[in-house]
Amino acid sequence: MSRDLNKLLNYSLIKISLIPLMLWIISSLVFILLRVAPGDPVDAILGSSADEVSREILRNKLGLNESLSNQYFAYINDILHLNFGLSLSTEEPVLNIILKSLPPSIELGFFSILSAILIGFPMGFLGLLKRGKKTDYIVRMFGIATYAIPPFWGAMLAQLFFSVYLNIFPIGGRFPIFQQQPQITGFLVLDSILSNNIIALKDSFYHLALPTITLGFLLSGIFNRSLRVNLDKTLKSDYVDAAKCRGISRQRIFLNHALPNALLPIVTISGLTMASLAGGALLFEVTFSWPGIALRLYEAISQRDYTLVQGIVIFTSMLIVSLNLFVDILIAYLDPRLEY
Amino acid sequence: MQNKLFISSFICLFSLIQFSCVPKNNSKRIIVASSGKVESLDPARVTSLKSFQLLSSLGDTLYVLNSDGKLVPELALDMPILSNDKSKITINLKENIYFHDGTEFDAKAMKFSIDRFMRIGINKYILGDKINFIETPSKFKLVINLNKPSSSINALLTSINLTPVSPSFYKDYADKFLNDKFIGTGKYVLKNFSNEKQLLEPNIRYWGVKPKNDGINFIGYENSSSLYGALKSKQIDVLLSNSIEDIQRNELNLSSKEKKLREGIAPETQITFISLRTNSYPFSSRNIRLAISKSINRNLISKKVSYNLRKPLRNIVPPIFKESNQDFWPEYNPKEARILLEKEGFCNGKKLNFPLTYRSNVPSDKLISLIIQEDIKNNLSDCISIDINGVESTTMYENLSKGVYPTAIYDWTGLYSDPEAYLKPLLSCNEIVGNICKEGESVLSGSFWASREIENLFEESDSKVGNYRLNNLIKIEKIASESIPYIPIWISSQKAWSQNKISKPIFNGAGIISLSDLELINE
Repeated sequence: MSRDLNKLLNYSLIKISLIPLMLWIISSLVFILLRVAPGDPVDAILGSSADEVSREILRNKLGLNESLSNQYFAYINDILHLNFGLSLSTEEPVLNIILKSLPPSIELGFFSILSAILIGFPMGFLGLLKRGKKTDYIVRMFGIATYAIPPFWGAMLAQLFFSVYLNIFPIGGRFPIFQQQPQITGFLVLDSILSNNIIALKDSFYHLALPTITLGFLLSGIFNRSLRVNLDKTLKSDYVDAAKCRGISRQRIFLNHALPNALLPIVTISGLTMASLAGGALLFEVTFSWPGIALRLYEAISQRDYTLVQGIVIFTSMLIVSLNLFVDILIAYLDPRLEY
Repeated sequence: MQNKLFISSFICLFSLIQFSCVPKNNSKRIIVASSGKVESLDPARVTSLKSFQLLSSLGDTLYVLNSDGKLVPELALDMPILSNDKSKITINLKENIYFHDGTEFDAKAMKFSIDRFMRIGINKYILGDKINFIETPSKFKLVINLNKPSSSINALLTSINLTPVSPSFYKDYADKFLNDKFIGTGKYVLKNFSNEKQLLEPNIRYWGVKPKNDGINFIGYENSSSLYGALKSKQIDVLLSNSIEDIQRNELNLSSKEKKLREGIAPETQITFISLRTNSYPFSSRNIRLAISKSINRNLISKKVSYNLRKPLRNIVPPIFKESNQDFWPEYNPKEARILLEKEGFCNGKKLNFPLTYRSNVPSDKLISLIIQEDIKNNLSDCISIDINGVESTTMYENLSKGVYPTAIYDWTGLYSDPEAYLKPLLSCNEIVGNICKEGESVLSGSFWASREIENLFEESDSKVGNYRLNNLIKIEKIASESIPYIPIWISSQKAWSQNKISKPIFNGAGIISLSDLELINE
């Protein structure tokens, strides 16, 4: 076992050592792409009618008159010191903006995956239980359909039906406009619990409900199909047959042998989905005016706020790379068949 | 049986959501929604209409424009007094006015705020080199020394960018922005600020008429559909229309006609036009510019794109700033356009190439382009070959001055309420060669057109006041209409809608809603 742990440690170190290289490539690509993209941040800030003197002063202030190589080295140096600079449009530190926008996205992502699991897993089990029957086909169709629905369209339909026609959910936002939200960690559900504020907790869930259930519904197809396929494959495997021959009860075979193995690929899917959702579900955040990191990125792009776009992309890349690494190590640890 | 149980459970759950989860707004506070976020409430930094709207409720200005477009003293005691040589403006200030932090408003506070804006203001170019320095000879007297006579300075004093802020509160922010707080003299005090929502409480020590409501909750939604849906489902009380789509504007307009909503309309101040690059062929030819101008069917565009909610425009100065309603630009007349094009050698087997660029992120611009394209295809297909292209607005603004686009559609709203705020940004030029502008506003606007006569008239207007000045400015507009470096298309205004339980939104002459006049009334 200790030799296995050593191997795992080596494997983890190799994986971790690749992170700086990946981040350097990503950050360099971001730098180059933003510079070759059309549009001038000075125009975005001052408007096209500002005089040339004001434009020149701002250009100097932002360092845009420096050579590209100087800008690049200064940029890499700042990243190494975790200094993402100031937002061009608000002059607020980029890291502050990211730290303010990240909790809403993580909260949305977490509860959406929870919803996806709560909707997708029972569907997957049901499909397997009624294999080959009408219910199985309905569940399969459901899985494919939810996967195929474009998220922005699903979000708009849900908003139109539940918020406008039925008026049972808010149009958007995280908290009622006429109440002050608890501010401790930025995660409203957690903050409401920490401040013992039941009304705030209820209001947070009320605002979370529509976006998370809708996103969960759209993601549930992946979980439904993955569970169905993996569980089916596992239940047909040799070790399950061997367990049956040894007289082990069906319930124990299912819970102790089949399910854990079927869930392994789902851990990977969950990790990757969570990583991408932590980076923000862009069109969901725009539709539901959810003040997360993707919405902030969308605004920063439209304002040509170079530093903020760079900061958000690099930060979310770090997050995604770290979560991927965590999932890789977790799978390596959980799956004894895996060689490393 | 199982089905009945399922249906009963669903109804119970639905009722529970309806009656227990929905947070209720039982106060007399009013929820006002608009699009986007408020990045800053620093008067030196704000540039968006939504921020102007908020600041106008939190702060006062020396003067305001009433709904007729006339200058009215607000923090000033009376109208500005111009010295004989027109180089000084003396303004007496009202007394017993206090900032939200309890400190007293006086001439020094006003000087601090104007100086601060001139130092760090994002839009400081609107003052340009007009102000030399400011004096405070007594506690409530302000003297603005001008570099040269400038009659537009009065209108600039209505700018919310120059709203006074408390010098003691802003002492650490004299040379930098303070985005999330505001201490001014206005009717409301900022209680809570986040980029998405802002809570405003009535200022109980306000010197003038107190707000008619218990406060304002200002919220931003990211898209037009959310704003429209929120008003329809009564989740908000008032909607400002600064970026709502035309089809939804039309729906809301119809609802207001059916008395389901109340509609408030601001004076029309936003002009949409085509800029023609006059420094190279074919648009260096006046006849061709005239022909294009005569081939634009403004009435059709207004009807098809805006459901007649935006008025066709044949001027570049909005009517509110003029005393006459005379239209200077030529009317739609494809027959005359054909004659002009034939004179220039087109129509007989040779087509004029008319590339029209629009802002791809502004839906109405694309629709305008399509209507122009179709109309030209119907009437002048043998004379003009029109090719429409969309580019993102920031890209367009950057490239206009580089002369990238032979023609481009965009819009303009004057930064202060004066004809000059429309004429100078489009027509003024610092370096003229022939009729071509080499450097100046006209280059930035993409037309590259200039006229010495216009420059002389601008200079002359700076030292004049009243009707003489206005006539001078109108003369400038007339000269421009004869040379056609721009083709105005339509003029539009801000609109706002309120639920029937709220009073009708009323705009002032600068297109700002008086939030303090919004009140809950019986439906």
